[in-house]
Amino acid sequence: MARMKFLCDAERCIECNGCVTACKNEHEVPWGVNRRRVVTLDDGVPGEKSVSVACMHCTDAPCAAVCPVDCFYTTDDGIVLHDKDLCIGCGYCFYACPFGAPQFPQQEAFGVRGKMDKCTFCAGGPEDNSSAAELEKYGRNRVAEGKLPLCAEMCSTKALLAGDGDMVADIYRERITKRGGRPETWGWETAYKGDA
Amino acid sequence: MTTVENKGQRPLAMALALAVMSISLTACAERAEVTLHEPGVYKGSVDPLLAQQQNPEQIQTLQDRFAKGQSDR
Repeated sequence: MARMKFLCDAERCIECNGCVTACKNEHEVPWGVNRRRVVTLDDGVPGEKSVSVACMHCTDAPCAAVCPVDCFYTTDDGIVLHDKDLCIGCGYCFYACPFGAPQFPQQEAFGVRGKMDKCTFCAGGPEDNSSAAELEKYGRNRVAEGKLPLCAEMCSTKALLAGDGDMVADIYRERITKRGGRPETWGWETAYKGDA
Repeated sequence: MTTVENKGQRPLAMALALAVMSISLTACAERAEVTLHEPGVYKGSVDPLLAQQQNPEQIQTLQDRFAKGQSDR
């Protein structure tokens, strides 16, 4: 069984935010919620680097560990998803996540949080595949259609890779061999630890 | 005359009050079964995608898609 992973090659990312736009458009993500964002390190300084960050679908997901209502599950290929019907919007997952992936839409006054929203690796959620309910709650289920996350498929420089972890690692290894330098697999150590 | 009538109604009123109290207090009774919390066990509905992912064809389709769309030329 393949283990799905994201990898952002910081040497290739040009901070175009195409991945962010593709994600928002594909899943009709509401205002104020960004499932993916581009973070620029040392912005304005020569040698600055940008990394596209979203839920990394961690091997031992901290969000799932802290969830008081146990609404998280991991698919056989390592995609971390959650049930919005169970989510109580407590925000524990937001504090636990090392990537700041969980998002909460502002729905009511007085800081009341709505249901948590995060990247689904374009795999929807626990509703009938490609149903209207799934689209409304979790966004489009591209994996069920035999497709991969749109953010990576839209990436013009192929900086963002999403798919079978072994295949992703092979491509990245080949790049490092060709261009030299040290491998910088942003977030992999944190997300996948021994599995990285 | 009225006091005799009141005395006759008192046991009836007491019985009625007891009945109302016993009925209303049944809601406060302790439940016999205990809800056990199993930490870390997913409690939501089943995702149909999980069954689909068992299909080797689905895995192959995703791998082909990756090789076609994301590998370096």
